Amino acid sequence: MVALPARGRRLWPGLALSLLPLGFVGLLLLAPTLRLLREAWPADGLSWAALWAPWLDPYLRWRIAWSFAQAAITCLLSLLLGLPIAWVLARFSFAGRRLVLHALMLPFVVPTLVAAMGVLALLGPQGLLARWGGPDLQGTPWLLLYGNLFFNLCLVVRAGCEGLALVSATRVAAARTLGATPWRAFWRVEWPAVLPWLMPALCLVFLYCFAGFGLALVLGGPAYATAEVEIYTLVAYELQLQQAGVLALWMMVLTLLAALGYAALEKKRASPQRADAIARRLPAGVRQWLALLLALLTLGALCLAPLLAIVGRSLMASATDVAPLAAWLDLLQEGDTLLALGNTLRFTLAAVLLATCLGLCHALAARRSVWLRGLVFLPYVVSPVMLAFGFLLLYPAWTDSVFLLVGAYALLAYPFVAQALGAALDAIPPHLQDAARTLGASPWRAFWRVTWPLLRPALRRGMAFAAASAVGEFAVTLFLSRPEWATLTTLIYQHLGRPGAANLDAALQLSCVLMLLALGAFALLEGGRPREAGHA
Amino acid sequence: MQRGIFSFLAASLAALLLAPAAQAEEALTLRVLTHSSFGLPKPLLAQFEKDAGVKLAISKAGDAGEMLNKLILTRANPIADVVFGIDNALAPKALAANVLDAYNGPASHAASLAPLPAQLVPVDYGYVTVNYDKAWFAKSAVPLPKSLEELAQPAYAKLLVVQNPATSSPGNAFLLATIGAMGEEKAFDWWARMRSGGLRVAKGWTEAYYTEFSRNGGKYPLVVSYATSPAAELFYAKDKPSEPPTGSLSLAGGVFRQTEGVALVKGGANRAAAEQFIEFLRSGPVQQQLQTEMWMYPAVPSAKRADVMQFAPEPSRFDSPSEQGLATQDAQWVARWTRVVLK
Repeated sequence: MVALPARGRRLWPGLALSLLPLGFVGLLLLAPTLRLLREAWPADGLSWAALWAPWLDPYLRWRIAWSFAQAAITCLLSLLLGLPIAWVLARFSFAGRRLVLHALMLPFVVPTLVAAMGVLALLGPQGLLARWGGPDLQGTPWLLLYGNLFFNLCLVVRAGCEGLALVSATRVAAARTLGATPWRAFWRVEWPAVLPWLMPALCLVFLYCFAGFGLALVLGGPAYATAEVEIYTLVAYELQLQQAGVLALWMMVLTLLAALGYAALEKKRASPQRADAIARRLPAGVRQWLALLLALLTLGALCLAPLLAIVGRSLMASATDVAPLAAWLDLLQEGDTLLALGNTLRFTLAAVLLATCLGLCHALAARRSVWLRGLVFLPYVVSPVMLAFGFLLLYPAWTDSVFLLVGAYALLAYPFVAQALGAALDAIPPHLQDAARTLGASPWRAFWRVTWPLLRPALRRGMAFAAASAVGEFAVTLFLSRPEWATLTTLIYQHLGRPGAANLDAALQLSCVLMLLALGAFALLEGGRPREAGHA
Repeated sequence: MQRGIFSFLAASLAALLLAPAAQAEEALTLRVLTHSSFGLPKPLLAQFEKDAGVKLAISKAGDAGEMLNKLILTRANPIADVVFGIDNALAPKALAANVLDAYNGPASHAASLAPLPAQLVPVDYGYVTVNYDKAWFAKSAVPLPKSLEELAQPAYAKLLVVQNPATSSPGNAFLLATIGAMGEEKAFDWWARMRSGGLRVAKGWTEAYYTEFSRNGGKYPLVVSYATSPAAELFYAKDKPSEPPTGSLSLAGGVFRQTEGVALVKGGANRAAAEQFIEFLRSGPVQQQLQTEMWMYPAVPSAKRADVMQFAPEPSRFDSPSEQGLATQDAQWVARWTRVVLK
């Protein structure tokens, strides 16, 4: 469809665009990691025996295998559970639908340890399930898988929801008219259309779980620790850089393979779609209401129940106070809380801004390159602790600077923007832009008036996830932290570093504040006029 | 519908511009490296800044062990001028790595309630020991264990949660106490029995205390913590009970005295201010305040004890391997512990 010379001309802006994100990743990710690996490089060269060592140690082999297995199982489960839920949320309109879509992302926001406390309040030894006579799941792989779903299901549901909302109404209608059952219409029309949206989300889920860290230890116990935990121990506590480096290299190879495999598949699958989206409607009939109810209940049980447990516990804690409201107000007026609140807002704003620029550039540049697509996941491929120690070596004067902190937040947040936009760009039929160009629009104008409006929903989703990851704890434990730059998450961990009921209560209450703040941010980012299907 | 995004971008730009820029007073900044549990009241730190004429840049670098490794890794280009939080368990490693400079001011000659090797000036000390949940033991009518031997019996081993010594300094301290008291072979035999009895391992203190300890929703009524934890429980209790809800069990061989010190970083800048900071940490107000901020005992003999510390009696016996052993064998012990308890 596009003439060859035009394609040649289009390649150059792509390369220029990629310079910004690639330069950023190079400086903040590759250079520190390579610097640490150089430090770890043995003086007499790396022997094959040392390189193979992780595979010969049965303990490490089990760590790597388990990391892989739990990530793969989580991917499968989140697809099986997430797709039907996404379908229901994409097809039916109901009161509070938007709130559900926002609340879904809250697990990203709460600190791992607080989330684990919420999960244990339901399924732990003194949790609801145990009190009702059920088993205590603490220390079993089931609890870890539950925790993984709790954190990651939202990625699949949100991506699926957006993809399904763009499925061509005429094609579904045509299939139905020609006698296809709803199931067959889904399988032949909707599934191929939504797959390009699901795959990057699943890839993220895989990488998150594979390199996952905190949750596995808290919920699964040391028996289910991932290889990342091993790397962390080797680097941070034993300074065994060589061993850690070898293990980290293997993990990087495995994750890079996964990321590139995904990118190749995604490029092949990408199919532009006509933007005549199916309109959402109220559920009709018992079966549709039942489906909606079931989807919401599943979401509630998996994603929201642990959070509600946290809210419940903090409300109960303040209920024993003489003046419950005054206790909350006191907490909010403490100097530390105000400082942390201000810092959280400032860092999140800065990180989302930077992540949006980087993500936009990357997604536009990666339209034609499988390699660039795979590279978007690089920030999750590199072991965070290797990165943190690499920073210390490479930029000793900057390790506790606010710029590096915001840079690191943005580094971990921008893949969300880039992958959301990547899927959206693939879905835009090229003839729309071609038509605009034929009618005399400049390339810039065609982008602004045609492509940009079609990208906005995905951009908003990407930005919301970026904000969620920045508000959360991802970068917190990586770097030297300055008390004056404490965020809500650091403050929560600071309270949990001391014994005593007041500290626990403060941590839970601050978590509630964090969740409210995040809901506000999501509403702002994805807010405005309700997005109706087919507006484009 | 574009407005949402644009108002957001505008707001973030404004926030960035209004954000206080990093101050460029390089020469006047004293860089202090601490572990993440460091805490002193802000007015006290502000007073120091005023008296010494410097700006404090306090960096928290994680757990004490992690902090020391960061210091060792960056020794060619130090990230701090003065370091607080290296304890007697880590001191041999710090000395061997040659990352500290000796300080010869008044504080280095003054008496301390707990000693540290020459280059470190003691600031505070505490005891890592087993804590128990009083309500759980009252309800189940199980008597408290009286010795480590008894603790290793299946009835008790499954009640205890410890921190992984590879990722936590109290966990490491508890391991060192058992090795100091029983000798290496007997100690690992004890750990092996603890493992088969159903001992639980958590990553760090916070995980153990807030997700595994029965007082906070877990199922283990015994947890490795500090002798001061019951006093802190009372201090932070909401309904002001007359006695703490937890107690510390000072089992012979299960107590480690952790002495934390402050030291000059080799190659650090601002020597005069760094030395002033060392004296500051030993001053009356700091020694008084650190008790209820960091929950440690003051190292200066004349420091007044906080009232709540009467609920944190000091154990009469504590154990530790020799300094030689700490310097050369700690990493091997942790590796052996991982083999015996986890693998």
